[in-house]
Amino acid sequence: MTEVRRRILVVEDDPETGTQLVDSLVANGYQVDLTASGSDAMGRATSVEYAVITIDRMLPDVDGLAVMQSLREDGIVTPILIISALGEIDERVRGLRAGGDDYLVKPFAFTEMLARVEALARRNAAVFKETVLRVGDLEMDLISRTVRRSSREIKLLPREFQLLEYLARNEDRVVSRAMLLQHVWDLHFDPNTNIIDVYVARVRRKVDGQQAYPLIHTVRGVGYRVCAPC
Amino acid sequence: MSALLAKTLRSSTFKRALIWIGIFGAIVIALLGYVYWSTSAYVLSRADRAIAGEQTVLHRAYDAGGRSAMIAAIEQGVADERAVGMLYLLADPSFVPVAGNIKAWPSDRKAAEGWGNFSDRALKPDAADRPLLRATFETLPDGYHLLVGRDVGDLDAFARKVNTALALVVSLIFVLAGAAGVSVTRRTVRCIESIDATSRAIMQSGLGQRIPVHGTRDEWDQLAESLNAMLDRIEALMQEVKQVTDNVAHDLRTPLTRMRGRLERACNRPRSADRDQRLIDDTMTDLDDVLRMFSSITRISQIEARDRRAAFGVVNLAAIASEVVELFDAAAEENGTRLILTGEREVFVMGDRDLLFDALANLVDNALKHGRHGGEVTVDIVDRDDGAVLSVADNGPGIPAEERTRVLGPFYRLERSRSTPGNGLGLSLVAAVARLHAAHIELLDNKPGLKVLLQFPDKGKPAIERGAERRDLAAAAGPSSAG
Repeated sequence: MTEVRRRILVVEDDPETGTQLVDSLVANGYQVDLTASGSDAMGRATSVEYAVITIDRMLPDVDGLAVMQSLREDGIVTPILIISALGEIDERVRGLRAGGDDYLVKPFAFTEMLARVEALARRNAAVFKETVLRVGDLEMDLISRTVRRSSREIKLLPREFQLLEYLARNEDRVVSRAMLLQHVWDLHFDPNTNIIDVYVARVRRKVDGQQAYPLIHTVRGVGYRVCAPC
Repeated sequence: MSALLAKTLRSSTFKRALIWIGIFGAIVIALLGYVYWSTSAYVLSRADRAIAGEQTVLHRAYDAGGRSAMIAAIEQGVADERAVGMLYLLADPSFVPVAGNIKAWPSDRKAAEGWGNFSDRALKPDAADRPLLRATFETLPDGYHLLVGRDVGDLDAFARKVNTALALVVSLIFVLAGAAGVSVTRRTVRCIESIDATSRAIMQSGLGQRIPVHGTRDEWDQLAESLNAMLDRIEALMQEVKQVTDNVAHDLRTPLTRMRGRLERACNRPRSADRDQRLIDDTMTDLDDVLRMFSSITRISQIEARDRRAAFGVVNLAAIASEVVELFDAAAEENGTRLILTGEREVFVMGDRDLLFDALANLVDNALKHGRHGGEVTVDIVDRDDGAVLSVADNGPGIPAEERTRVLGPFYRLERSRSTPGNGLGLSLVAAVARLHAAHIELLDNKPGLKVLLQFPDKGKPAIERGAERRDLAAAAGPSSAG
């Protein structure tokens, strides 16, 4: 079962980018199939159960959108990460409408790509029904919207609570700034400022200030990770 | 010249003119035909009445005094000065004339009874063609034949006149209308030709050309003026693009040169794990800057090229503003600036949430960066009768009046802000978003400081209820984010 979950199909026609994708995914413990053709991708995706498919928009034979549409019509629900050099504003909407689950614009950092693949792979695996999230000595009550660390209550603004909740749900995994913007603020663009860092810094002061150990860790060049002493 | 004529004859205007000429010609022919028909009917009915009256007189004479009385009446009629053009003939059963002013019974009318038309060359030898005569033919009880008639030759002459008039008018119409059609069409063709020639010249030698305006202030001048205005706009845009390209080239080349130099130096130097690590880190940071600038440029061009309002919906501007203020609250806190949101809580406009958020975030970011540290930044939303107004004001040094319009263009940066981080694209993104939303952007003096004003068009009003409903649904759907 876990074996199946860790298998990824990469559809990418540029050989160097393809190899780079494969290398970084393999280095993170995934089993990876690489193909440059849309029709081949359709064949593989219908015969093998993948955890995630990453697909380029512009393929030599078929448009990535068409591949996704035909997979969705065939009832394949594997999460799809669209990786495309096409601009984000309208293309992103089109891609997501055609059945994609997430959208990454080239050029991208591999850590960003890994974070998104990880998030998609996990989406299939777990459904959250908890009402309390725990990371180390952090306790988030999702019903009363209260946060405690070693039984001391921490006051958070609603948006700060959402941010911490998203980080805590992704415990031990890297969450990029773009993912935070997308999931906490529902924004699909990069404001081109360090505003997210400033915002996280404030949450971090509230959550990690005067505690035994820090929970929110900066991952250089990418984003953040929440973990109990790591 | 013959090419112009050929073009004129081929032109759709001329073909259309021909159709109308045909229609007018047909109407004139019908009109003259009606005049002819009604006039001849009138003339004939007058002749018929005269003939019938004379016939009654003769019958009365016959009834009173027999054939001899009738002959006397006929002779009296022939002699009567007033009855010019009346014809009489009484002939015996074998059609030998007995009395009257016609020499012989018309040979082709021997069996005729009742009304009829005939012609008699002998009667009017001087007529140009056969004279037209109208008469009644009858056989009296004693076997004699009586003909009472009238010369209706003037009707014939009238018909000829009508025919001549018809021919004249029709040919005149075709000639004049044809000439008018050709001249009007030729003018059209010539005007289009000049526009065509100008556009060809533009394709060949650049945007310097303009379509000649004749100063007649007619629709052709109007067309030429708006086309010229369009060309002016395109030329201005091209210039802007060139300016932007130059600036981009400059702003991209600088970090790229830096990176290349760094790598080249490292290439010729012995490897050092520490130094190489630093070099890689620095280069990646620089590359990220370049990529970020690149994505800003493509984002702006995408916004400007966007299918207008395709993704628009009713959005609460005040809610977006409060989210932006909340997001920047931490940053404001960090540099000791007070970030305040004032105005109404529900102001609906038609728009794109992401883009409005982006624009407002840029404005607040600018205000925090360029305003006075420890000062105040105010975001204000007002729903005025003529549309929503959003403003972001700081109390920093502001922007000199003469530079205010230029800062909206891409890559324009005030000299003093060259040193602060940023790529000079923020305000041009705001301007692009404003244009997409048909909002008017204005930079004002906040005395001291800068106040950026976005005046939205008055379009959100009718959608208020829908917007409110959506908000309620959103509130009911998920755990509230606005607690």
